[in-house]
Amino acid sequence: MAVVEGVAAPAPKVRLRPRGVSRREQWQRRLPLLPALIYIIVVTQIPFVVTLWYSFQNYFFDIPGGAHFTGLSNYTTVFTNAAFRASLVRSVVMTASSVIVAMILGMAFALLLDRKFLGRGVVRTLIITPFLVMPAAAALVWAGPMLDPNFGLLNYLLTPFGVHHVAWLSTHALGSVIVVMIWQWTPFMTLIVLAGLQGQPADTLEAAKVDGAGALATFRELTLPHLRPYIELGILLGSIYLVNAFDAVRLMTNGGPGTATTNLPFYLYQQVNYAFDVGGAAAAGVVTVILTIIVATFALRMFARVFQFDEAAG
Amino acid sequence: MANVKYISASRVYAKDTPPAVDALDLDINDGEFMVLVGPSGSGKTTALRMLAGLEPLDGGRVEIGGRDVTFVPPKDRDIAMVFQNYALYPQKTVAENMGFALKMQRVPRADRDRRVREAARLLDLDDQLLDRKPKQLSGGQRQRVAMGRAIVREPQVFLMDEPLSNLDAKLRVQTRSQIAELQRRLGVTTVYVTHDQVEAMTMGNRVAVLTGGHLQQCATPRELYDNPVNQFVAGFIGSPAMNLQAVPLAEGGARLAGGMLPLPAAVRTAALKARLSELVIGIRPEHLHLTNGSPDADGPQQPRATDGSWELSGEVMLVEELGADALLHVRLADGGDPVVARAEGRKPPAPGQRVTFRVSPDDVFAFHPETGARLAG
Repeated sequence: MAVVEGVAAPAPKVRLRPRGVSRREQWQRRLPLLPALIYIIVVTQIPFVVTLWYSFQNYFFDIPGGAHFTGLSNYTTVFTNAAFRASLVRSVVMTASSVIVAMILGMAFALLLDRKFLGRGVVRTLIITPFLVMPAAAALVWAGPMLDPNFGLLNYLLTPFGVHHVAWLSTHALGSVIVVMIWQWTPFMTLIVLAGLQGQPADTLEAAKVDGAGALATFRELTLPHLRPYIELGILLGSIYLVNAFDAVRLMTNGGPGTATTNLPFYLYQQVNYAFDVGGAAAAGVVTVILTIIVATFALRMFARVFQFDEAAG
Repeated sequence: MANVKYISASRVYAKDTPPAVDALDLDINDGEFMVLVGPSGSGKTTALRMLAGLEPLDGGRVEIGGRDVTFVPPKDRDIAMVFQNYALYPQKTVAENMGFALKMQRVPRADRDRRVREAARLLDLDDQLLDRKPKQLSGGQRQRVAMGRAIVREPQVFLMDEPLSNLDAKLRVQTRSQIAELQRRLGVTTVYVTHDQVEAMTMGNRVAVLTGGHLQQCATPRELYDNPVNQFVAGFIGSPAMNLQAVPLAEGGARLAGGMLPLPAAVRTAALKARLSELVIGIRPEHLHLTNGSPDADGPQQPRATDGSWELSGEVMLVEELGADALLHVRLADGGDPVVARAEGRKPPAPGQRVTFRVSPDDVFAFHPETGARLAG
């Protein structure tokens, strides 16, 4: 049967414009945001500008005469300094390994928690607690009661397996710091992946069952692709935070032994507080910020693409 | 291809609640198109999910092709299911969606592609659609992809859970006939769930009417229409619904609209045996035939001895024009609920007009007022 399409009259060509909002009204709308904006500028942007200014100055706390302009010499030092490069690499290693392991563990916990069982609410709350402990407190608890060579819980628990008096913070310093970061960030990853899992429509999982997919195939073929944006979000946010990790390094190992756990934030801290080299630290800080911005921009762009794709498809 | 058997299959969702499906006994023949129909909460979808293996049985058995599958997981039942919301895999393309079951069966890629393309052709899905993601498709296309995913499998049984409920009215009617035609061509046993009795009547070889977890009647559409076993089936099948009214019994018949409706001897005997003082009678709208002659305004209606039919009259309250015909909402002489009658569309009576209907006694159904069971007539 022929289908007669409804013939619509051509719409009158009237340009629709949003109703004008007066300048005054615009400001009235923004006004409540202003205090927060000013606060953000005072605590982040002004210090950054000051840092930028210092990075072009020769300024040591312990050398009389104050600051004077040196051009790019601080930057030359940063790029030729092996210690800076080493701490850069260490930062990357620390961040990448802790984020990846935390994500894998987080995914495992999320999969375990994504089902009904008695006391699920309690277990979920308990799982989240490490994330709620402030990083400095967590670092102190790990450095003392957990990892102490003589009285530490870990050595006590490992005694039956023939492990005695291991000085974890000296012999496995980097690993110990990474473990604490993983311990703190696994709950965050769990939460994000769990949110993703719960957003997965139940009927597609049932369809997969009927289609003959086992648990493993369902996970690989359906759940993992579905979780991709959530995993990327977790990795991105985790990286942004962990690249700035300072508490654990300062409180557990103080960057040592030697420079074994000196990452970029701790290196900058040392430059100012031990070497009194304000100009050099500022230049290193500026380089760090720029590198971080580049990485974060790429990550965010990739991330936005993933989400946009999802929306375009949706 | 296989037959399907429910043997007193039950499903209880929560303790101390009535079963969602209560001891369902149903035989579905090889190659048959069986429609499960009922209002929401009737247990029709649960019954289907029990057959799919997505819902465990709390009693009884389910057999597919003579094999007891009660404890067989869904993936080993060799069934394909079309879900109400299609449940397409959002991250996979149309082709991957359709070929997923084959991939799980480790069918070689070339073979898989060929079968997907065949199924796509069968469903009039363009080749270029095969590379799209489900979200880039229209509702009708998604529905066909969901069908395609089932067809590609070449399963023993198709299960369809209200697959047309998300389509607009026109597309639904079109797809309805396509699915029925496709099923006849493929000859695969199909269990189809719907709440729409028109879908049930037009598609099914047989229709099983459920309510409250109980099977009411399972018969051909014609049989359900002509011979409903109880008041529920009578009221559920047919559109607009059958007019049902409780009427007092009197000597030789039932009192309706100020007149006497003669009842067949068998109905009278059954009513007498059950010691009823009233019963429910049902007349389908299309069996109220408008007579041209208007009776005296207040004249009593009397059965016409000549052809055994009798007349009843009332006042038109509302006319619903459907084009081909019109539905009259008529208040009968003695008040009570208005009845609906189907009249020819060209010149329906106007609201306020008095009309007279002729009814053949063969078209009158009688039901037990409490149990709803049909009183043999």
